[in-house]
Amino acid sequence: MSTEVEAQIDQSLATLRAAFSPRFEAAAGAGGEPALREENAKILGKKGELTAILKQMGTVPGDARKRIGEKVNLLKQEVEARFEALIKTLAASKRDAELNALPFDLTLPGRAPTPRGHRHPVSSVREEVLDIFASLGFAVHDGPEIELKENNFTRLGFPPDHPATDMQDTFWTTSGTLLRTHTSNVQVRAMMSQKPPMAFVAPGAVYRRDDDVTHSPMFHQIEGFVVDEKVTFAELKGTLAEFAERLYGPGTPIRMRPSYFPFVEPGAEVDIGCVFCIQPSGTRRGCSVCKRTGWIEILGCGMIHPVVFEHCGIDPERYTGFAFGMGVERVAMLRYGIPDIRLLFENDPRFLSQF
Amino acid sequence: MKASLSWLQSLVPGLPGAPDLVAARLTGAGLEVEGVHVFGAGAECCLVVRVTAVRPHPSREGLRLVTVDRGSASQELVCGAPNVPEPGGMVVLAPLGTYLPAKDMTIEPRAIGGVTSEGMLCSEAELGLSTDGDGIIVFAPDFVPPGTPLLEAWPSASDTIFEISLTPNRPDGLGHIGLARELSVLFELPFAPPMPARLAAREHDVAIVIDDGERCPHYASAILLGVNVGASPAWVRHRLNSLGVRAISNVVDVTNLVLLEYGHPMHAFDLALLRGEKVHVRLARAGETLRTLDGVDRSLDGDDLVIADAAGPTALAGVMGGAGSEVKPTTENLFFECAYFDPRTVRRSARRYGMHTESSHRFERGVDHGDTDNALARAVALTQELAGGLLQGVKRVDQKAIEPGRVSLRMTRMTQLLGHAIDRDVSTRVLKSLGFVLDENGSDADTYRVPTHRPDVSREVDLIEEVARVVGLDAIAAVRPRVRPSVPVGGRERLIRRVREEAVGLGLSEALTYAFVAEGDLALLGAPAPAVRLANPLHEHHTVMRTTLLPGLLQAAARARRHNERHLRLFAVGSIFLEGGELPAERPTVAFLLGGERPAFLSRLQSYDAWDAKGLAVSLVERLVHSTPEVVPFEATTRPQHLHPRAAGRLVLAGKEIGQLGLLHPDVVDAIDLDGEAWVAEIDLSLIDIDVPKRTRFMPIAKFPISSRDLAVVVSENILAGDVARVIGAVAGDLAERVDIFDRFQGGTLPTGQVSLAFHVVYRAKDRTLTDAEIDAKHAAVVTAVTSRFGGTLRAWYRQEPE
Repeated sequence: MSTEVEAQIDQSLATLRAAFSPRFEAAAGAGGEPALREENAKILGKKGELTAILKQMGTVPGDARKRIGEKVNLLKQEVEARFEALIKTLAASKRDAELNALPFDLTLPGRAPTPRGHRHPVSSVREEVLDIFASLGFAVHDGPEIELKENNFTRLGFPPDHPATDMQDTFWTTSGTLLRTHTSNVQVRAMMSQKPPMAFVAPGAVYRRDDDVTHSPMFHQIEGFVVDEKVTFAELKGTLAEFAERLYGPGTPIRMRPSYFPFVEPGAEVDIGCVFCIQPSGTRRGCSVCKRTGWIEILGCGMIHPVVFEHCGIDPERYTGFAFGMGVERVAMLRYGIPDIRLLFENDPRFLSQF
Repeated sequence: MKASLSWLQSLVPGLPGAPDLVAARLTGAGLEVEGVHVFGAGAECCLVVRVTAVRPHPSREGLRLVTVDRGSASQELVCGAPNVPEPGGMVVLAPLGTYLPAKDMTIEPRAIGGVTSEGMLCSEAELGLSTDGDGIIVFAPDFVPPGTPLLEAWPSASDTIFEISLTPNRPDGLGHIGLARELSVLFELPFAPPMPARLAAREHDVAIVIDDGERCPHYASAILLGVNVGASPAWVRHRLNSLGVRAISNVVDVTNLVLLEYGHPMHAFDLALLRGEKVHVRLARAGETLRTLDGVDRSLDGDDLVIADAAGPTALAGVMGGAGSEVKPTTENLFFECAYFDPRTVRRSARRYGMHTESSHRFERGVDHGDTDNALARAVALTQELAGGLLQGVKRVDQKAIEPGRVSLRMTRMTQLLGHAIDRDVSTRVLKSLGFVLDENGSDADTYRVPTHRPDVSREVDLIEEVARVVGLDAIAAVRPRVRPSVPVGGRERLIRRVREEAVGLGLSEALTYAFVAEGDLALLGAPAPAVRLANPLHEHHTVMRTTLLPGLLQAAARARRHNERHLRLFAVGSIFLEGGELPAERPTVAFLLGGERPAFLSRLQSYDAWDAKGLAVSLVERLVHSTPEVVPFEATTRPQHLHPRAAGRLVLAGKEIGQLGLLHPDVVDAIDLDGEAWVAEIDLSLIDIDVPKRTRFMPIAKFPISSRDLAVVVSENILAGDVARVIGAVAGDLAERVDIFDRFQGGTLPTGQVSLAFHVVYRAKDRTLTDAEIDAKHAAVVTAVTSRFGGTLRAWYRQEPE
């Protein structure tokens, strides 16, 4: 009896052994991982075929039971190994399929976290210029845009009823104040409220009654000034040479031409070597921007006039100083090749989005 | 100032003829040459030829065939000029190949009515010598042998002209003598100014009375009898034309030549028209008028200095003569005036009448008060040369002596200021050649007398500049500065920069807008009334200073829309100007504008809405101050009129209103032709402190799990989601870690006027794991509170299964 049962069990095991692998493969092929797991459960599950075979073991004697147990276990391991192998194969082929699917269309636009905003070119230049002077040791000093005549003209040494004021055609307010014509009012305010040494840059809006291709009634200036004992013209030159190299690139030469501003003496205009027609050899061909001279005017400067010191309560014998000022729009126009200053104030989105 | 190279060469013998070299030296010394051009370009190719025959053109009316003798050969030309002379007359031929820049024309063979013409007979206009293009140039029959090059016969028909941009401190450069002196110093060449003989004549009988010696210290005059007023010779006309001055008559031309030579304006009166043999230099009297030479009647001001005769004003001193005493072709006797008028007086008069003349330009800057005798003598001599006349008498009144300035120059100071040592010898040589007279020679300092042609020099530093500019600023080596750093003052730049940075980071683009606006725009936008008005605006739409940044942004938006740029994300940062003390209060402000559609990713574009505007405003402030502002809807009574009644909010930070935002009122949109909606916001940056440190303290990470519940209620559409959220938060108390609205829905199966609001509530306790029962009880209380408080019905509430 027991041998009969044992033989029967052996037979069942043999049948299962022959069948499990093809069944797994068929299931995996037809239904993938879920079908394979289902098939696995049919064999190894609580109600599975192998479990059913095991249950028959109760009717056989001890030693046969042990033998059968070993055989069942062996088969179980074989089934499990096969199952695991197939699961791995399936996962690998799934990974493979995923890796080999069509690539994402990276030509579609990226989804920006926010749309891109644009700094106004005048602001970019302003920040860049201020950064250069900050690195040279200058601090920023603010000043008002609406100013007293005394701070904009008188203390800066503009003689009353003098044609020098024609250089800066002024907007007056009905209360007798004016819209500052330059940021030099900050020089006066700083010198009247502080004691030397001082080294400041003063950026801001200024106003002149001019409106054409190169003049806007409102524009921006950056003024810089240093007051200390024994400040020299040579240092002014050194400061501006350093500035030119940092803003326009190493090796950019500067040239100073004597000029006149009432609040400096000696006064000069500063040209840089044209950055538009420079050749690889370092020579300049001359172009329309520099009017074929090879030089572009970028700022005015000079040694602070002793009369300004006197008006501001600083001893001109003890202290000397230099000052310089530049139009930010002009620097921006040169930098970006903008031909008409009015483009800067029209705020056309097609203009702004270029910067 | 235009300057003639040939004239300068006559004053500085040996001056190089290379225009670029001269221009470079002038520019390098501070007299900036802005341009160089050739006067009479093309004349160098032309020949003087003799007309030998003239006959009508075979087929063209008005044209003639003119045969000319070029000396070596003859040729026939077609000519349309009305003034072709009889045979024997001399004319100017531009041969084939001549380029005439004045007409941008090259002479080529040209067939006119079947006759080929190989050359052209020229007018003055065609050679650029004057604007006279009515007829060709005609010379007398025996002028020169035929075939003579034009410039040999007429050297004045060609010159090089410099355009010099003079700074206002250099009146001496406004005459060729001053420029020549400068060039003689720069090129170290001798200086040869004209030396007119002193006028030798008795005093004339016209009385000269000067009321105010401050305004007119010197007045020199001369009377010439029996002059022949007529046209000036070619050299005078060419010289004047080349320098941009119209030739009028020999007498007037003489005053202009002297003006261009000495830089000293003069005036010639018709003696017969000076009433009462009297010249009275005085201030205008109440009610007096003067018709100036330009034909304009001017009501004079009590501050105007006039030249009056016995009957009244006859010239506006230093600005313009009067029509009543003008020199005309019939004039026989002249009264010449050469005076020195106070610069400020001349300037005020000129500005008062909006006049800017060659004369006022020079007097304003200060003419040479020491050269009146020379200029007058030169004018008399030139007049006699060109128009004849007999010097009847001269008279000079010196009401006040102008003391020459004396200035000391310390060599140590010069070295210290320039950071560069200049030899004392060099310094002395430069200053002396510029006309300064060395008075005293101290151990370190030299004292100089300032010449009368340099009224700009009054201090030591002026002398230093003179030496430096002549030696050349290039000679001074650049030295790295020793900057002793200062402490920043104000901080507005930093603030504005931070705002700009964050605004750009949030996707806005910066607009640069004018600070002056139209007053009407401020009213339209409900902004404060202007605190600052311009007395002299440039445009009628720029009359007051802005009290809001919006006009500029709206203008930019309207302009963009006109150019079909509809989607706008703009900001502006700058000052607005409000009532203050002596000066207005300048408030740093930022404003932004959203219009059109928000960028979308592969989906339908949608217009900007209230929450875009709110999100942007809140984010901007958050990024600046690290705390979150609230947006509180305006009550109808306090809502600014430029905002839409349905969408207007105050931006509140720590209980303080710092700005406003909302949809632009449709009436405003229409009024400014904005062509579509725009969301706007404006924030007063003076109420924001970007230096508040971000005070972050670490919080222990929650140890116990969260449990979430959702809640959807249908309420009347006038219920505000924020109010519901607040009630949920209040009822849930400490257990609710967060309350988020995740859906707002209207329409569908919902009754009209109802809205479904759905919230997600996250529960968590700090000290324990909450039980479901505990949370369900809390959430039930929340539901009850919401439905009873807002009269809503519960749509659903459910538990979210943790993953």
